[in-house]
Amino acid sequence: MGNLAKELMAELECETVFTIPVLGGIGISESVVVTWIIMAVLILFSIWLTRDLKVDHISRRQAVAELLVTKLTGLVDGMMCPEGKAFVPYLSTVLLYIGISNIIGLFGFKPPTKDLTVTLTLALMSLLLVEIAGIYYRGIKKWAFQFVNPINVLDLFTRPLSLCMRLFGNVLGAFVIMEMLKIVVPYVVPAVFSVYFDLFDGLLQAYVFVFLTALYLNEAIE
Amino acid sequence: MNTLIAIGAGVAVLGALGAGIGIGIATGKATEAMARQPEAEGKITKALILGCALAEATAIYGFVVALMIIIMLK
Repeated sequence: MGNLAKELMAELECETVFTIPVLGGIGISESVVVTWIIMAVLILFSIWLTRDLKVDHISRRQAVAELLVTKLTGLVDGMMCPEGKAFVPYLSTVLLYIGISNIIGLFGFKPPTKDLTVTLTLALMSLLLVEIAGIYYRGIKKWAFQFVNPINVLDLFTRPLSLCMRLFGNVLGAFVIMEMLKIVVPYVVPAVFSVYFDLFDGLLQAYVFVFLTALYLNEAIE
Repeated sequence: MNTLIAIGAGVAVLGALGAGIGIGIATGKATEAMARQPEAEGKITKALILGCALAEATAIYGFVVALMIIIMLK
């Protein structure tokens, strides 16, 4: 039993992979490296998909690219109000990144969203986006006036906290359960459960994160 | 001390109770709604999945707190 707990703790830790020797050494943790891998895959895939685009007689690859872009932006577009079209590319990028990092556990990497700092950064980015959009669309006077209501001040802290903790807790919970299963039953059974915990739950949490950000944005710019 | 930590972590996970009840009620109502209006199935499923994911967060918070109790107090 103590052995199992120790193995679990080893899996939970996010160790520093290497250190960049500038400014007294910047530690690069595992989540950053996996994020780089995701970025590289996404960028290479996009470059491959968008080579020699044409208006008519499109190739099969271009048809796939058009389908992917239409579906993705359509999904995010459905959440936003008509005034908020400018935010659709950002939100779809976040959706892609969180979605891929949640299901990357399937390929044997540790999901970067399992690291609290990554989800906290994403939540703070959402908070910044919402507040700046509020200032931009409604003017600084109206934006500042909403803080007369103390609930709105409280929202500034609870919203990013809940966004961050929801994503982190879900990914971490799924990760811990999967690791325990892998230790207890190494064959077949983890594969069945990973369909729910890695694929379904991961994509759902990415959707929920983007949906809530869109909800806050709609509220801020109306 | 170890026993107390284990008990504390166990009590923190009791929060999962609320999530279970909430998701149960939501699914029950969604089934009712679908039986009444089968043509609105898509919309109902979307709202249900979203609601379940939000209700699930309570259980997840309990889990995170339990984990923190174990890691911080050890």
